[in-house]
Amino acid sequence: MTVKVEKIEGGIPHTTIMIAGLIASLVFLYLTYANVIMGTEYFAFFGGLATVAALIWGSHTIKHLCSYGIGTGVPSAGMIAFGSGVIAMLFATKYGIAAPIVAVVLAAVIGLILGYLANNVLNMRIPVMIQSLVEMAIIGALVLMGYAAMMTGSFELTSLTTGNVQILGLSLPSYQASFLGGALIATAFMLGAIAIQHPFNACLGPNWTQDRMLMLAAECGFLSMITAAIMSMPLISMSAALVSLFVAIIGWYYTYAKYIELSKRDAAAWLESKPIPDVEGH
Amino acid sequence: MSAIGAKPAAGAAVDTTAMVVGIIILLLVIGATYYLFGSGLAFMALIGIIIGGVLIGFGVHFVPVGGAPAAMGQAPGIATGVAMLAAGAGLAGLFGGAWAAEMGVVVATITGAIGGGLMMAITCMFVNFIYVFGMGIPSASGKVTKDPITGDTQPEFKSQGTEGHGLPFVSYVGGVIGGLFGGAGGTLIYLVLLDLYEEELPAMMNALPAQIVPIAVALAGMFAIGMFLVNAVLAAYNITGTIEGPHDPKFKRFPRAVVASAVASAICGIVAIMIVAV
Repeated sequence: MTVKVEKIEGGIPHTTIMIAGLIASLVFLYLTYANVIMGTEYFAFFGGLATVAALIWGSHTIKHLCSYGIGTGVPSAGMIAFGSGVIAMLFATKYGIAAPIVAVVLAAVIGLILGYLANNVLNMRIPVMIQSLVEMAIIGALVLMGYAAMMTGSFELTSLTTGNVQILGLSLPSYQASFLGGALIATAFMLGAIAIQHPFNACLGPNWTQDRMLMLAAECGFLSMITAAIMSMPLISMSAALVSLFVAIIGWYYTYAKYIELSKRDAAAWLESKPIPDVEGH
Repeated sequence: MSAIGAKPAAGAAVDTTAMVVGIIILLLVIGATYYLFGSGLAFMALIGIIIGGVLIGFGVHFVPVGGAPAAMGQAPGIATGVAMLAAGAGLAGLFGGAWAAEMGVVVATITGAIGGGLMMAITCMFVNFIYVFGMGIPSASGKVTKDPITGDTQPEFKSQGTEGHGLPFVSYVGGVIGGLFGGAGGTLIYLVLLDLYEEELPAMMNALPAQIVPIAVALAGMFAIGMFLVNAVLAAYNITGTIEGPHDPKFKRFPRAVVASAVASAICGIVAIMIVAV
């Protein structure tokens, strides 16, 4: 028997966020496919937007799960999300255009079994455990696929494993200069895993408010997107990478400003101090 | 009741039906792998992954995890969560073992185990250093009256109102054993997957074996990290919060984690194998 310690009062219900996050993430992922159709790389930034949508949904799922007091700390939820998500995502990339759908289905199956193991075999007995782990696995797979699409312009296995190296003006195929071969996926893994667990970890407590946490989730998502845009520079054309970087910085600045505003709204009192105080007499 | 004070009441009881269902899923996955790929490299890879996963899930139970109470000196153990500690020990072992991958399974697995154990030994030592000299608290267990290894008595060093504090000798030893198991398990998963990918990828991608090495290493490493985290978090859910080490009553819950880790590894493993074999 478990006590639910925090209630979600008011705000958007979890189901709405879940459906919106799933649909937005899938739509943005499929918009990156315009790269393949139009033979360009400028649509890669939609992959980053897909990760932001999935991360907003993910932070609310963590809130939903961790309000039962699972006793292992919030970061563990982010870790299991990406641990199970990466397996589903890598397998799904084999299926070309169907990859995002295959990733969602396979991640749901893996999450369902992990949820059953945690809830029944390990005797956790938390009502939302199975549903949450299913959602977490799907989010992990979608976020990683979003980063893959953003850094390489595509979510197919061949383009994730093959890159190009310029040697003396010649363009040679190389497996090392790629999303997988260069192990950029490991960085994408941590960028996502930290961005998904941080918002609830930072905002939990008696004065938790939904809009503030979701804004922080978007801010974390865009912050990770800035890093991902920089990492995409060797893999896609510089102008396409700069478009991603531009979108990420605009998004980050907007969400950061909004988050500070919401934090001031929720704070009991605050003092506007400067980062480096002026010392008198100098 | 605050969010931190609420402990989930997942008792030590074993749900027999769920355990049987878990074992049936495990056997189904093993059977499906044998039916699809025969008794070749892919089947051996699955068995290796399951053994590695069980080693990780079992090993996590040895690690003294204190969490937030330990940071305030109110419970024994290392002051962080299970997932962080297990990931630290396991990844340190995995990186150690990966360097020795060419020297065969036995040498590489032992190297991985030593890497994980060493990481935990250093962590435990500096944790105790900070507890004793920084926070000024002696090491005392709250779960036993005598240290099972040294025989030192514990209650007279324990502050009132706490569950013990610091890192008693038995917890230190438990941490090192946990690191050994975790490092060995993570390395074993990496090695079997690397062997499989180096064998299958050249044909699948139509490339020379030397060309696909970066892909094989990255894929095997990524899957190993993913499975490591899944197993570590499932073991953390089994412990639910804090554990002092092998002498803690919660340690007796490990059979559940062994079954859960085996099933989870098998499910993740068959997907990791199908990426090259289907």
